[in-house]
Amino acid sequence: MDLKFLVVDDSVTMRRIVINSLKNLGYQNYVEAADGSEALSKLQADDSINFVITDWNMPVMSGLELTKAIRSDGVLNKIPILMVTTRGVKEDIVEALQARVNNYVIKPFTPQILKEKIETILANN
Amino acid sequence: MQKIGGNMSEVFSKLNDLKNVFKFGEKIVPIIQSLIEFMKEIVPLIESINALITESTAQMPKASNQISNVTSQTEMATTEILDMVDKITNQLSEMDAVISDYDAKQSRSNEIKAIVLKKYGNDTELMSLLKEYIELNNYQTAFEKFREILVQANNDLFQITLSLQVQDITSQQLAAVNHLIDSVNLKLTSLIKEIDQSDIREDIKVIGIEAPMGANFDPNARYDKSESRQQNVDKIVNQTKQQTSQEEIDKLFS
Repeated sequence: MDLKFLVVDDSVTMRRIVINSLKNLGYQNYVEAADGSEALSKLQADDSINFVITDWNMPVMSGLELTKAIRSDGVLNKIPILMVTTRGVKEDIVEALQARVNNYVIKPFTPQILKEKIETILANN
Repeated sequence: MQKIGGNMSEVFSKLNDLKNVFKFGEKIVPIIQSLIEFMKEIVPLIESINALITESTAQMPKASNQISNVTSQTEMATTEILDMVDKITNQLSEMDAVISDYDAKQSRSNEIKAIVLKKYGNDTELMSLLKEYIELNNYQTAFEKFREILVQANNDLFQITLSLQVQDITSQQLAAVNHLIDSVNLKLTSLIKEIDQSDIREDIKVIGIEAPMGANFDPNARYDKSESRQQNVDKIVNQTKQQTSQEEIDKLFS
């Protein structure tokens, strides 16, 4: 399957780091968004996007709200979502899982962790 | 006469009361004087505190603004570093391409060598010169070493990229500090307004860093590269997922 990632983070630095990591892992196809709202618009406009990597804390629409919006959308609800965030407390992780993110990575992350989580998600889908 | 006697008695009683008041007054006057002295001293102090709070409050938006500037400047600097890292990575790729090109030419060179050997293998002088020429032009070992260095340099550059995650984390920490400054500023502003009519102690409350609803920062963000954090996350993810699937199974059978 050709993977097209949507990388969502309000930090330009983080978007570049995630994208560089994806390139390093051999994934060349990606688009990016600075917040959940922009991400949702891009998802609705581009049906070739089939993997979302999102931060949690963002202006306009958070990653958690984005996850809930995707999961409640009849067309988009099957897209795998990987949350990459600084939020490491148990309540947050459980809340994200209850919103049905597929997996959770804590910042700062390593490419190995990113690879492992992407592969696990793909294997389970 | 009896009535006059009664009135006099009442007058004396009142005079006695008055005497007691004077006696009490004699005792209380020094206290009141001390109180007045105290007030004379404390009022400028309160005014000074008030002025200090007003001044500090006026400085807070500036401090908050400076923190925002630090965030945007570090983001700019980080972008510049990332640009530079990308540029060097591209240059290393170009160097790698040059080595690959040499490798390709080397295989053609080996083919030519084989042809010459086949045709002129008996000419020992020519063979000796050819061998010397090949040795002088053989950069294979050097290029293999270069390639090792290139791979290492590429890895090191990528590590720099990964380390720049610190910028995102510190910007969230600074956003949390900014939020704290704004909260203190708000409290102090209301305190200044009410300082003359309310109990100061009631107005000063402990202000913790609590992210408001919809905040785009994590007040607990930290740059911690220890593996244990992700391991802890994985543990919670697995526990929660197992719990959820068990709940789903239970629902099916209920």
